[in-house]
Amino acid sequence: METVTENKRWAKEYPELGTGPVPSESCISPEYFELERERVFRRTWLNVGRVDAIPNPGDYFLRALAVCKTSILVIRGTDGVVRGFHNVCSHRSNKLVWEETGTCRGAFACHFHSWAYNAQGQLTGVPDEDNFHDLKKSELGLTPVTTDIWEGFIFVHLDSDPQEGLVEYLGGVADQLSGGAFHKRTLTHTYKVEENANWKVALDAQNESYHLPFQHRYSFPGMFVLEDNRYLRLSGVKLYNHHAVWSTTYNSESTPTPTGALMNKLNTATTNSRLPMLGDFDFFVIFPNFVILQFRGIEDDHYMTYNFWPLAVDRCIWEINVHFPPAQTAGQKLSQEYLNHRICDVLQEDAVAHETLQIGLTSRAKTHLMLQDDEIQIRQFHKVLEDYMGFFNGRGQ
Amino acid sequence: MPGALLPRQFQNLEPYIDWTLTKESERRAKRLSSTMEEIQAFYDTIFPQMEAIVAYLDQFPLDQLPEGAQPLYSLTLSLVEVTSAVELYHQPHIIEAIVPARFRRVE
Repeated sequence: METVTENKRWAKEYPELGTGPVPSESCISPEYFELERERVFRRTWLNVGRVDAIPNPGDYFLRALAVCKTSILVIRGTDGVVRGFHNVCSHRSNKLVWEETGTCRGAFACHFHSWAYNAQGQLTGVPDEDNFHDLKKSELGLTPVTTDIWEGFIFVHLDSDPQEGLVEYLGGVADQLSGGAFHKRTLTHTYKVEENANWKVALDAQNESYHLPFQHRYSFPGMFVLEDNRYLRLSGVKLYNHHAVWSTTYNSESTPTPTGALMNKLNTATTNSRLPMLGDFDFFVIFPNFVILQFRGIEDDHYMTYNFWPLAVDRCIWEINVHFPPAQTAGQKLSQEYLNHRICDVLQEDAVAHETLQIGLTSRAKTHLMLQDDEIQIRQFHKVLEDYMGFFNGRGQ
Repeated sequence: MPGALLPRQFQNLEPYIDWTLTKESERRAKRLSSTMEEIQAFYDTIFPQMEAIVAYLDQFPLDQLPEGAQPLYSLTLSLVEVTSAVELYHQPHIIEAIVPARFRRVE
């Protein structure tokens, strides 16, 4: 069992982040939230889903981006290209597509006056077209949204000409994870929790392992503290330009539950399907609101993603997607279901904290977050945020 | 007995046939609406047979389970559903968590 024993190690590695308290006003200020819409969510690449969801020509899904006050239609054209469009008809701006997911069979017709668009977003039909003045259908396709794909993850950017391309934006995360065999896993579970919490409060609460032995004392008793009472500290931290990853090792001293032990026996898979992992558990925060979590398994690694979708200064949707290698046997499938079930219990405990934190922050009884060295990634996240907001002035140093 | 829904060697599980639920949301609802005594009885009956059940199921490709194997498979998923209640919480609900319906499975 390895754990870091050197105190305050990460601050030594990243001295530019400082060590002082971090202001928490950004999590409760309506004015700050209004500025985040423009300065963060319209200036960053946003993950909206995976290509696996739309494998065939015409397949599409809608992605509501409340924080950008729009809804994006993500669709694979008949030419196989994945594109993003505002889901808005060119005639008088009605909502065009209504089904959350589906396949475009020839054309979408607006419910208002039946203007029709093909799967490439081109305007193909206008009823009583001859009665319009100077209508140029070729110029009246759906409004495109900058869209790109990395490792099967679809991202959009609300700027028509982003300063950084997607891979450049992802930077060190792309260096670490590209070629990571994400495509060898399939989406097995999706959960959504609408929370009375600022999106950053929810994200910050997930973005550390310090809370595990305490917040999860019921679901994983004894799992996260070693026998000699040392805490299971982070085994690795890498802070990138906009993003970060931290890792932990598993506690091999902990005793599995009876079902945990049983599942290890039942899973006889020999696929040895691996992800490019730094520790036994990796938590990649891709600014602003996307997280990739990698889990080391006995035979197969699996990954999850979180998207924290802001709705208001004190409301967000926490979306959770779980991806396992396709199970070949019932034993393998059961052990995946068991692992997922245990993790979901943890997340349902976490969601309590997201909301009680928001209540406490809103009281303004405290104005700052006190962060320890193993929470340096939260410190970094708030610095990146302030950089985007144009506010970073060395506070917290 | 409500009839031979399960393979012969597992017919002692027939009293728990109402745990044969294919959706996670249904299994969760079943756990939350059951008493701890009901959950414990189901767990105590199926747990010692799990290795035999999975050995039986693993004869078939997972996506082509024959009639009889499908409800048996659902029962094993229900074991997964109740195991934490029995082994950790000693109550049907997670001890400190949001209202279960708010953690919405999209199926």
